[in-house]
Amino acid sequence: MIWEVFGMVKFGIEFVPREAYWKTLFYAIQAERRGFDNLWITDHYNNRNVYVTLTAAAIYTKKIVFGPGVTNPYLINPVVTAQSLASLNELAPGRVVLGIGAGDKTTLDAIGLEIEKPLTAVVETIEIFKKMMEGKSVTFEGEVFKTKGTKFNFKPKEKIPIYVGAQGPKMLETAGKIGDGVLINASHPKDIDYAVDCIKKGVSEAGKNLTDVDVTAYTSFSVHESPEKATEAAVPVVAFITAGSPNVVLERHGIDLKKADKIRGALKTGDFGQAFGSVSKEMIEAFSVCGTPDMCIEQINRLLKAGISQFVVGSPIGPNVRKSIDLISEKIIPHFKK
Amino acid sequence: MAYQKIVKMVPVEKRGKLSDKLIDFLLKSKKEDKMPGGLASTILNQWQQGSLTTTEDGLAALLEAAVLLESEKTMELLEQELQLLDVAKAIKGAK
Repeated sequence: MIWEVFGMVKFGIEFVPREAYWKTLFYAIQAERRGFDNLWITDHYNNRNVYVTLTAAAIYTKKIVFGPGVTNPYLINPVVTAQSLASLNELAPGRVVLGIGAGDKTTLDAIGLEIEKPLTAVVETIEIFKKMMEGKSVTFEGEVFKTKGTKFNFKPKEKIPIYVGAQGPKMLETAGKIGDGVLINASHPKDIDYAVDCIKKGVSEAGKNLTDVDVTAYTSFSVHESPEKATEAAVPVVAFITAGSPNVVLERHGIDLKKADKIRGALKTGDFGQAFGSVSKEMIEAFSVCGTPDMCIEQINRLLKAGISQFVVGSPIGPNVRKSIDLISEKIIPHFKK
Repeated sequence: MAYQKIVKMVPVEKRGKLSDKLIDFLLKSKKEDKMPGGLASTILNQWQQGSLTTTEDGLAALLEAAVLLESEKTMELLEQELQLLDVAKAIKGAK
């Protein structure tokens, strides 16, 4: 069986809290009951607040591990991130993880925040976070952040694992070096292969093994018994991923740069029909795990071979999220777990 | 008539399909703001405890919420697809 070859893979699920809180919580409860290990909630100013959502998730669940996936140092000061996670960890001891990355340019731009020195900002955030979690007074003189005798009026509970959201080579390497996990926004083995090579450098520099780091594929996922319906649901997400991908990534997958440009242009002008209609089979294959349960199992297997230890089911999940969660639980997870 | 009483009129063999459809209506509804906070908590608590789709209390909460958020679809489901005309009539009377 698969778990005998690769060890026990974890299954995570990502929700963007753009809908009413009770819908996200409904799915979170379902995911826990249906055997998912991790729950990741995205953090953007224009959706429901990540920590309000996570607090409610902590109350309505009992065992699933959860955290922001991912927050960033620009929107929320590292000390407040530490405070939020430490508080959540009181509510759900041992179930909280931090996902931290450089942030999303579009939403940060909208509120006038520039992504300056992203690598340094993330590293400094993690340093401050770790020190704050020790419950000591923290004086920190960084390039991006400074603290002067900062200390909580309460004692944080046990260590909170830190996952670094990474895409570029330096961030991936750093994630391997200082993270307990790495969140890789990728759905294709070629991208995971590339990421794992970078992570290995960091891991080796830190004197760790790759198995010490939870290598997590944060995928765009869509499952349905009908492959056409699964693909149809994946198309809008893939259009946005294609438009946001640098040329080097598009070329890695043999995607026509002109077609990608066409999608970018259409999305900019709000012509979604044109944008979604320009999504090709190659783009779907490169930027999503998509199809029937059996097709998804095959694609997950390829990601496992590339070195992941956690598979995150991300947007759109499927044409009907609730039914897709059931399908994943009934037909996919049992293939990978005892 | 309270929804707890109305759901007693739903034959046991139709309750599974009814709750499944009502959950879909709620999760796909764009009229999220019509969901009262207390009713959302009831639904989430029952969902967490595993009683949302297996008890009359769960079905009553779903039906009440579906009528609030997606009244037309819910009545169509009851009257046409499930042929639960007496249930539909009782809901109309309760409104």
